Amino acid sequence: MKCKAIHKKLIFFLENDLPENEMEEIKLHLAGCHECADFAEYMRKTLKVLNQERKPDVNPFFYTRVKARLENQTIKEIATPLWARILQPAVFTLLLLAGVYAGIKIGQPANNIQETYYAEQEIFPYLYEMAAEPIETFLME
Amino acid sequence: MSEAGIIEKLREGNEKAFSDLVNTYQKMVVNTCYGILHNIEDAEDVAQDVFIEVFRSASGFRGDSKISTWIYRIAVNRSLNFLRNHKRRRGFQSFDDIVETPKTVTGEADTESGGDPQSDMENSQRSVLIHAAIDALPKNQRIAFTLNKYEDLSYKEISEIMELSLSSVESLIHRAKKNLQKKLYNCYKKKCI
Ligand SMILES: [Zn+2]
Repeated sequence: MKCKAIHKKLIFFLENDLPENEMEEIKLHLAGCHECADFAEYMRKTLKVLNQERKPDVNPFFYTRVKARLENQTIKEIATPLWARILQPAVFTLLLLAGVYAGIKIGQPANNIQETYYAEQEIFPYLYEMAAEPIETFLME
Repeated sequence: MSEAGIIEKLREGNEKAFSDLVNTYQKMVVNTCYGILHNIEDAEDVAQDVFIEVFRSASGFRGDSKISTWIYRIAVNRSLNFLRNHKRRRGFQSFDDIVETPKTVTGEADTESGGDPQSDMENSQRSVLIHAAIDALPKNQRIAFTLNKYEDLSYKEISEIMELSLSSVESLIHRAKKNLQKKLYNCYKKKCI
């Protein structure tokens, strides 16, 4: 077997998961090929980490915590009855829509300010004549 | 007590039955979550929610699989959901990040290797590397590989949990190992550890 073929089977070799003849062939190759042996060692050490970290210790307070969390959630649910849990999002949505609608409505009169302005000018034409008159003319008089 | 008996008690809200169930399956659930999350605090956090779901959904359990199979499914799904919601959690490094930025693998020192700082550092780097390589596997390969590696489950048990055929599970685990080997070889060539 060539090095490339060995690389493809190393993980199965390391797990003893190959037919007997292939296991032997790879073992022989590794004995004579430094690069493959080096990679095999690298992979063996890396995979070994998985075996070392398995089975974390049982936390003695685990059940107490599960129970506390369950009770907390149950209390919250009792405090917020089912109708409220369904109705609340609906009310919030309606409020949001109402807010958007009100925003649009409040925004609209801003466009009418100009009209109001012109209306005032119509009512008090003399006052606004002053504004239109150049300052020089005014002083000359 | 039979499995049907345990479920019946859970449906009635029997606290003793629940505490027995937690004690029986706690290690299995935490270990499964840990295999997917690689962090003990996260694993215990998710495991708590797993048992709460078990308690609440006992009435919906049809009894067409073993209790352990049903709990495994919840544990896997909850862990994957947790990952989805906390994708960019602190310390998270993708496999590509690790390979493309050599010698930057970071991790907490492993205190169980006899106190040799050099070896601790190497082990913690290897741990980050292998976790990132597993995390980079396609979802089903990753689940099958993790259940097999962390829980020593047989292909048959995994096929029941994942609701797949036995040959699909064999193929998933075979491909997972080949993919891991390829990833580790890339890393080896680029000397990322
Ligand atoms: Zn070779």
